[in-house]
Amino acid sequence: MAKQQFAMVIDSSKCIDCKGCVISCKVANKVPEGFSRNWIKASVPAFSMGPRTRTHFQPGACMHCDTPTCVQACPTGATYKDAETGIVEIDNSLCIGCGNCIPACPYGARFRNTAIRKADKCDYCPERRAAGLLPACVDTCPTKARVFGDINNPDSEVSRMLSRNKGKVIKIVNAQTDTKPNMYYIGETAPTDWTTAAVVPASMTVMKEVSPLIKGIVGLSGLGVLAMLGRQFLAGSSDSHEPEHHDEEARHD
Amino acid sequence: MTRLFKRHDKSDIFIHWFNAACWLLLLVTGVGLIGNPDIDPVGSWYPDTLRTLVGGGGNLLTIHVVIGFAWILGFLWYLTVNARGAAFFLREVFMVSPARDMAWMIKKMVLMTLGPKPLKMIGMAPELPEQGFYNMGQKAFAQASVVGGVVIAVTGVIMFLSDKVFTAETAWIVSWSVTLHYIAVGLVFAGLLVHVYMAAISPEERPGFRSMFTGHVPEDYARHHHGLWYREISSEPAAKGE
Amino acid sequence: MQNQNKVKLSRRDFFKASGLAAAGISGGGLLGGLTPARAKGATPPPMWESRYSACDMCFNKCGLIARVEKGVVTKLDPNPKFLKSRGMLCARGNAGIAQVYDPDRLKHPLLRKGARGEGKWQRIPWDEAIDMAAQKMQEIRKKHSPCGHLFTAGADLQSQFVGRFAEVYGSYNVTSHESLCLLSGTRGFLDTFGEVPFADLLNSKYVIMAGANRFEALVTPDSIDLMTAMRENGLKLVVLDPRYTKTAALAHEWYPIRPGTDMIFMLALMHVIIDEKLFDRQWIEEKTYGIEQLSEHVKQYTPQYAAQECGVPAEDIARIARELAADAPRSMVYPGRRSSDYENSSQIRRSFALVNGLLGNWDKPGGLLAARAVGLKGVPYDPPWYDENPDDRIDAHAAPALFEHDGSFVLTREAVLKGEPYPIKGWFIYKTNPMVNAPNRKKTIQMMEQMDFVTVVDITMSDTAWMADLVLPSQSYLERQDPCSGLQGSVACACVIKRDPVIDPLYESRPVFNILKDIAGKLELGEYFDFNIPGYRKQQLRDLPDAEAAMDRDGVYYNPSKVYGIYEDRIYKTTSHKIELYNQRYEQMGLDPLPVYTPPQKIPESRFRLVVGRNAYFTHGSTCNNALLHELTPENVLWLNPDAAKILGVRDGETVEVSSSVGRGEIKAKVTEAIRKDTVFMYTGFGPLSKGLSLIQNSGASIAALLEDQHDAISGNAAMHETFVTVTRKVA
Repeated sequence: MAKQQFAMVIDSSKCIDCKGCVISCKVANKVPEGFSRNWIKASVPAFSMGPRTRTHFQPGACMHCDTPTCVQACPTGATYKDAETGIVEIDNSLCIGCGNCIPACPYGARFRNTAIRKADKCDYCPERRAAGLLPACVDTCPTKARVFGDINNPDSEVSRMLSRNKGKVIKIVNAQTDTKPNMYYIGETAPTDWTTAAVVPASMTVMKEVSPLIKGIVGLSGLGVLAMLGRQFLAGSSDSHEPEHHDEEARHD
Repeated sequence: MTRLFKRHDKSDIFIHWFNAACWLLLLVTGVGLIGNPDIDPVGSWYPDTLRTLVGGGGNLLTIHVVIGFAWILGFLWYLTVNARGAAFFLREVFMVSPARDMAWMIKKMVLMTLGPKPLKMIGMAPELPEQGFYNMGQKAFAQASVVGGVVIAVTGVIMFLSDKVFTAETAWIVSWSVTLHYIAVGLVFAGLLVHVYMAAISPEERPGFRSMFTGHVPEDYARHHHGLWYREISSEPAAKGE
Repeated sequence: MQNQNKVKLSRRDFFKASGLAAAGISGGGLLGGLTPARAKGATPPPMWESRYSACDMCFNKCGLIARVEKGVVTKLDPNPKFLKSRGMLCARGNAGIAQVYDPDRLKHPLLRKGARGEGKWQRIPWDEAIDMAAQKMQEIRKKHSPCGHLFTAGADLQSQFVGRFAEVYGSYNVTSHESLCLLSGTRGFLDTFGEVPFADLLNSKYVIMAGANRFEALVTPDSIDLMTAMRENGLKLVVLDPRYTKTAALAHEWYPIRPGTDMIFMLALMHVIIDEKLFDRQWIEEKTYGIEQLSEHVKQYTPQYAAQECGVPAEDIARIARELAADAPRSMVYPGRRSSDYENSSQIRRSFALVNGLLGNWDKPGGLLAARAVGLKGVPYDPPWYDENPDDRIDAHAAPALFEHDGSFVLTREAVLKGEPYPIKGWFIYKTNPMVNAPNRKKTIQMMEQMDFVTVVDITMSDTAWMADLVLPSQSYLERQDPCSGLQGSVACACVIKRDPVIDPLYESRPVFNILKDIAGKLELGEYFDFNIPGYRKQQLRDLPDAEAAMDRDGVYYNPSKVYGIYEDRIYKTTSHKIELYNQRYEQMGLDPLPVYTPPQKIPESRFRLVVGRNAYFTHGSTCNNALLHELTPENVLWLNPDAAKILGVRDGETVEVSSSVGRGEIKAKVTEAIRKDTVFMYTGFGPLSKGLSLIQNSGASIAALLEDQHDAISGNAAMHETFVTVTRKVA
């Protein structure tokens, strides 16, 4: 079987902004006060439309992108795209809390969890999945606007929804940073202009830019050592002050 | 019988090799903690393999942190048992006589790699200016080690404290600590290669290398390699007799 | 710990069916497992036990599964087999955990020490509390007759025991929350169809929703079925609301109707439908009474006239009438729930009912459905007779069509304050909060003050508990054993649920049943409470032999009873035994037999009509202090139209003072086009007096303080949209 790619297909037209998903997620994942792993965004109504004034509600969360900028911003690989499931995971034990990944997400899906003081975001509820349950937000959704599954499995509901809605699937991407998200909105959705360009912190950029230089310096140093070694073997020591017999005697110490 | 001069205390010898051992382990584990293709020193196979071996990156981080704290504690111990030795070391290492030491440094680098000919070609005498307790090469590396070590230790502790005291507002300090840790280790490591070669592989420093076990160097070596120091101590009354 | 409600969950089919089961990655390594890089591997499932229960965060009673780890509830999930809620749990349902583990919960009995409402309490043991409550009840009964004691209970599975206690104690004076909520609508539909209908939104094609906000004030399955039908069946939704609610935001058409004019809109719809003969004449003649009178009556209500009054353009009214009729009988005017709005709300809701009657949607797919057979039986008892009692309830005849078991809180309070026709000096209140939910708080305080003894049983220090003499801690729904309850789920189901404890009770909390049983024992009424909950359930379920097992297995029992065509062989419970377009009983009572439109009172210069309501994140006063929900709605704000705000000089977010003839409050203004210029809106439940609700101290304003206490002329239901307020910028 092909590698899995867990994803969410969202019919945001069904969302009534009840925020069941938000509270369910908060409880399931013990998300501290003031934070949330998921959200429902709302379009701004144009009241000039009179009786046809509408608001579109749009559920969202981490989009488990194919080219996640958060992963690129992580120095340790604590956040990584899982090779088996396609889920962008955070290994808390390896996260050093540098915070680089937080501005690197164009969707604001990440936050510093104030309880564990590390990066936090949606991970599709692994414990629940292990128990045979759906992620907390999907399970609780009244109108089943959020649908979860493996888009690499053609028999999954998400795959069927995608093929049924061919040509009408919207992915929300930032003009400057297309992370190839795996969050699929079917039909119309709004708003779509809320993303921000991924920001990699200057400290990470500096490290990335300095990295070749450091490698160069280490390389030069290594070359120097090689040169010295070479000279040592070809020409003997440049230092003629040390007579051989000292070497022998010193061994007695 | 060659006259021997005391060069290192037992605590000096211990801290040197303790430092060396920690450095080796911290390098091995630390490089494995870098998991980003843009900054990986040797490629992602290394962190992947190492993490697999120890049962995950979290374990590797724990190992690294434990060794790191042991390293810091080792130095704190050294400072308590041999503060005078530490003070002497720092004074010697950071006292640089620019004219003499720079000339030594440049000539030495040429001699070690290209030999005396290029120096003669540009009309420079290949003889090296006399050096003190440490020659300029040793000083340069020691300076880098001291400054780098402090930076590495401080940034390491900051990273360790990240999930204990830092907040979203102060996480930038942690992030910069990662960068500085990375740069400092890289630069010290560049020096370390030369240090290891000079001290352990190059035959000319063999007595110096041996003194890192015995604590003593022979008079001949002291005279030729650390002339200024030799003159200072050979006139001392307590010096060892022939 | 009861084990009856334990879920025998096999792993849900989802993962198996779709091949989603995580490819398990295992192996032994050097330090606790060889973990491949960049793959998380298998996560162990949580070590929880799953137990069925039913939610109690609002009245809907959605089925849930509580996940319990070491005696602590860690998660509440929807019961996927619970059809009434379509297998969902909303934000409030998910936040039930924060109610159970609320640090503000009442922990032990408290006796008032200082002045009433001063907040000085003494902790007393349960024995003493029960003795005291019984002794005071006895004193009041002796001095003033049993009817000298008032009993008030909210919507709860144990509220029936409060009613039972009141009856055996001897008091007719029982009020519920319903006369602050839905009785006008109940009246209007009952007096048309002979029963209160359930809307088959799932199969409907066209719905007019007025005086209801189904995407925020969630009702199961209506809220869900409405969206499903809109998205999947092409249902068209037209919303009339002075406020741009989320229901309006998702509707196909939204008309910010002038408050209090819904009736003329409905009358104009009927004008068009009758004038253009868009109804099923044969069905109307067979099933209804009074089409001639109605036809004559609605002649005056032209779309043009209605448009002038309600603000919806005449051509839209006419178009909507035609569209509605075209989809009939799969079309409806949604009956709604809370209807405590206007002094003529019963008649307003009757106009809704009449449109439905005319559409011929009764008892049909996509229309209004009769209650389905559930099969749950009552548990009869034979209460003692008390010669010393007066003839009737204290509010009897204060309105022409009160409900016998609910009365009218507003009218009862009026009578208590006057002491006429007789005094009421004792009050027992369970799980309802009139201090926060009843209009004109000053009068509720006066009512409290003239009481000799007030006992409140609740789980937190509500404003009502704050004013009591004796406060008794009750159990939350996850700690209690409750009797069975029959639920109507429209087309989704007719079902029975029960509640068993999923955790041990916290602190010294006790269920109200035990409290009443103990008090009854002291009053020598023990024989009326000589049973336990399992025994009571057995009696309730005596005609449903399979129900208990089904509830243990699935958390719910479904009665596969008839959904449509229930009235094919049944007569309507009305005077004419038909759907009464023209209500003969009203005629006899001197009431308008057909709804007569009277324009709402004109809003005086520089004042606003105050309307109240809620969102999907709280249930009035009972959840405002819930830590999880509080994050979503930390306070209430005053919705103010930008044009009005400009005149008042108020900017968004500024604090304003709102004043009515009965009270005032300070609240932040939310300047928004989502409200009409002549109307302001705020959420219920905020601005408490109690200091026992730590999260919402000084948060927002209280509707109870601001609202005047008008009532619906027919049902006695509170009329909460009849108050005019001034709004002034608060000078810092």
